[in-house]
Amino acid sequence: MVRNRVLVLLALPAVVFLLVFFVLPLSVLVVEAGADGGSAFGRLWADPVFWKGLQGSLVLGTAAPLFSTAVGYAVALFLARCSERRRTALLFAISLPLTFSGLIVAYGFILVFGRAGFVTLLLAEVGLDPAVVGGLIYSPVGLGFAYSYYLIPRVVMVVLPVVLNFDHAQIDAACSLGASNPRAHLDVLLPQIYPSLLTAFCLTSAVAIGAYGTALALVGTQVNILPLVLYSKISETGTDFPAAAAISVVLMGLCCLVVAVSEGMGGRRKVAARARG
Amino acid sequence: MTVRFENVTFRYPDRRAGVFDIDLEVADGELLAVIGPSGSGKSTVLKLLAGFLEPESGRILIDGRDVTGTPPRARHLGVVFQSYALFPHMSAWRNVAYPLKVRGVATAERRRRAVDALGKVGLGEFVERMPATLSGGQQQRVALARALVFEPRALLLDEPLSALDMALRAGMRDEIVRVQQDAGIATLHVTHDQEEALSIGHRVAVMQAGRILQVAAPIELYDRPVDRDVAAFVGQANLWPGSVQAEGRVRTALGELQCATDGFPVGADVVVMVRPESVLPVEADSPGPNRFLGHLAHDRFLGSVRRYDLAVEGGVIRGETRHRMSLSAVRIPPEAVRLLPEASR
Amino acid sequence: MRLVTVLYLGYLVAPIALLFVGSFGARWTNTLLPDGLTLQWYLDVLDDSSFRRAFLTSLKVVVATCVIDTLLGVPLAYAIHSAARRGVRVAARILTLLPIAVPELVLAFGFILVFSSDALPWLGSTEVLIAAHVVVTLPYLLSTLAADMSHLDLAELERVGDTLGAGFAARFVDIVLPSIRFSLLSGLIMVAAISIGEFQISNLVAGFLNRTYPIVLLQAFYGATGFACAATVVLLVLAFLAAGGGALTARAAHAR
Repeated sequence: MVRNRVLVLLALPAVVFLLVFFVLPLSVLVVEAGADGGSAFGRLWADPVFWKGLQGSLVLGTAAPLFSTAVGYAVALFLARCSERRRTALLFAISLPLTFSGLIVAYGFILVFGRAGFVTLLLAEVGLDPAVVGGLIYSPVGLGFAYSYYLIPRVVMVVLPVVLNFDHAQIDAACSLGASNPRAHLDVLLPQIYPSLLTAFCLTSAVAIGAYGTALALVGTQVNILPLVLYSKISETGTDFPAAAAISVVLMGLCCLVVAVSEGMGGRRKVAARARG
Repeated sequence: MTVRFENVTFRYPDRRAGVFDIDLEVADGELLAVIGPSGSGKSTVLKLLAGFLEPESGRILIDGRDVTGTPPRARHLGVVFQSYALFPHMSAWRNVAYPLKVRGVATAERRRRAVDALGKVGLGEFVERMPATLSGGQQQRVALARALVFEPRALLLDEPLSALDMALRAGMRDEIVRVQQDAGIATLHVTHDQEEALSIGHRVAVMQAGRILQVAAPIELYDRPVDRDVAAFVGQANLWPGSVQAEGRVRTALGELQCATDGFPVGADVVVMVRPESVLPVEADSPGPNRFLGHLAHDRFLGSVRRYDLAVEGGVIRGETRHRMSLSAVRIPPEAVRLLPEASR
Repeated sequence: MRLVTVLYLGYLVAPIALLFVGSFGARWTNTLLPDGLTLQWYLDVLDDSSFRRAFLTSLKVVVATCVIDTLLGVPLAYAIHSAARRGVRVAARILTLLPIAVPELVLAFGFILVFSSDALPWLGSTEVLIAAHVVVTLPYLLSTLAADMSHLDLAELERVGDTLGAGFAARFVDIVLPSIRFSLLSGLIMVAAISIGEFQISNLVAGFLNRTYPIVLLQAFYGATGFACAATVVLLVLAFLAAGGGALTARAAHAR
């Protein structure tokens, strides 16, 4: 109905903009990484810091989304049984972190779980060493715990619509056929919604692997995760740019891979993923 | 104004579906209903006329002029969509006034005409209402008023009643006929509801698999369908395969039937059609031709009528009667039997 | 499920609550909660010239980002919606996935490589900063608009507009723009919220004189607790405002 020429004209400004400010930087990055026949990748291969960072990112990219998906799933199941009004109110609260800057999360966590944090001091009352408890959030595991703050809402947003669409009469039917309640959930509900859980896991995993804001604010560059390795490489003076570009390519490849897996595994749902950190 | 399809063929790009060799004419002031099962191509005919699709071959003429390549907005046709497609952000009168607005009519004048048009469809009190606050029937009327306010050259109705409750449909049907008569313009009405088509169409076109099987006035379509498919689609019918035994006699699985065999040579294969309301219940021992004995296999009480299936030797006869007595024999008057060719194509 | 949800809500609320509490507390070192009540920290933040400058820079960037996003995003979303081709759909889908497929840090490094070159020496300029924000936020606006366009069945509304005589320009102004006004507004609120809190790309792309609020905020984390809390709460309140505005828009859109 609208001529193709008009559509092309409409899309043109945005396309040109994205070419200059998205495609061009990434292309230059890839070219830089591949300069000297890819010798930068060889240097990475020999660099133990890179391997530690990769390992840390993989741990973080598995643990944080796993925890987030489990909690988010439970929360979604609870929300699905709430009244409409209550659900709307709770969803409002839960979706708040989606627009939070990663820095808010970082400082909030220092206040709650830091060395002199609220929870740390509470636990000290019952005899847990504050130095140990307070040190936790500065470790990769603690980092994952902090990341979950903005990963869990993402999981809820992906899983809740699917849980809501699920016809609860199926559970009743399974029970009437003789299944116990947990059994009915396992046999009937889970098989129908596991694609959305996988999608949620992959999306949050990609976010956890790629983000650095919260981590930088919490621990500086002392934890070994790939984005922080890259960040310190970039901010160093006399940087080995090709090596930094090579890390960028690896990081981007990792995130793309996880997203591609999510898309390929039946993530036909529309998910506008948020990548704050 | 008249609308004409001349040998129009259209194929959807990714499928073999489409419409083929459509020849159709809607006269000025005539309401032509197009019916057919879903996927028969009836909506495609409407889209071709409206200009959403362009024919692959053939021509579409509006008022004698070829409109191929003319965009929908330049065809001046009023279209009522199945979903009504009212603009949700405009009040009823602004919806109706929209075609006048894009034609440059001054605000006061277009408001006057829109309010007038809404009054004609009985919505005089609802001119300021937003579409979301109107009932389905009211939305339908707004859509109708909007499609007619700019005095289009023809009116196109795409399943206009399918989104309404059963109870509302009959009333809306009469309303459409009244408004269409008032406007006096050529109207193409696409529907899958044969009762709707028969009751409001001046003529009815039956489509199947992208082709028009028959175009005829409702009574003729019902009484003299051209083939088995039309007979099966329009109304209830007993349809038995048979062959002409001799002048005035046809052999079927149920036995021999007496009827007029005009136009069919002896030995020809035919389809025997008998409408259920012409099957007459009789006493078991009553004399006469075309009498069948059997027992009731199904008996359905439908209120004004009772529809039964009488299992007889060699098959089932479906009949309709107002009588409520027990039933074991029926007679088929020879003049109620119609012979159809095996296929018209 | 209930227990997990309750624990989760505690986990959700605790950092926010403590940030507020801390911002009003006079002294807070190694105690459960701060002592004393004061507004001094807010006055300090207000007084701090680098915070003031950063806040103004952030506002400027947010407004510019919203305007450019609208000018680029609305026509693009419309073009994607109207071109019902498979290839276009796939491209649009990829576009909405970009924010997670390409980490902002990686994009920031790409910006450094390109815009510190001799050919395009723009790194550190506010223009490049704004461009970075537009790249980061545009996909969110696009997916919001695209979802609304297909939800409204805009194509059908346009078809009827066409039969009523409206050409492309009339349809765009009379049908498309009014139809998407709510999703455009809620999309822009989200864009503003992301832009105001954006740290990961700004931190590397902004120059010293046009640092945005979050970049300056990070420095405050190494100072007094109350000051850091107050400075963070400013950002938090803006996020709340955005969320509230988003909810109101959603309600208005629902009531139409």
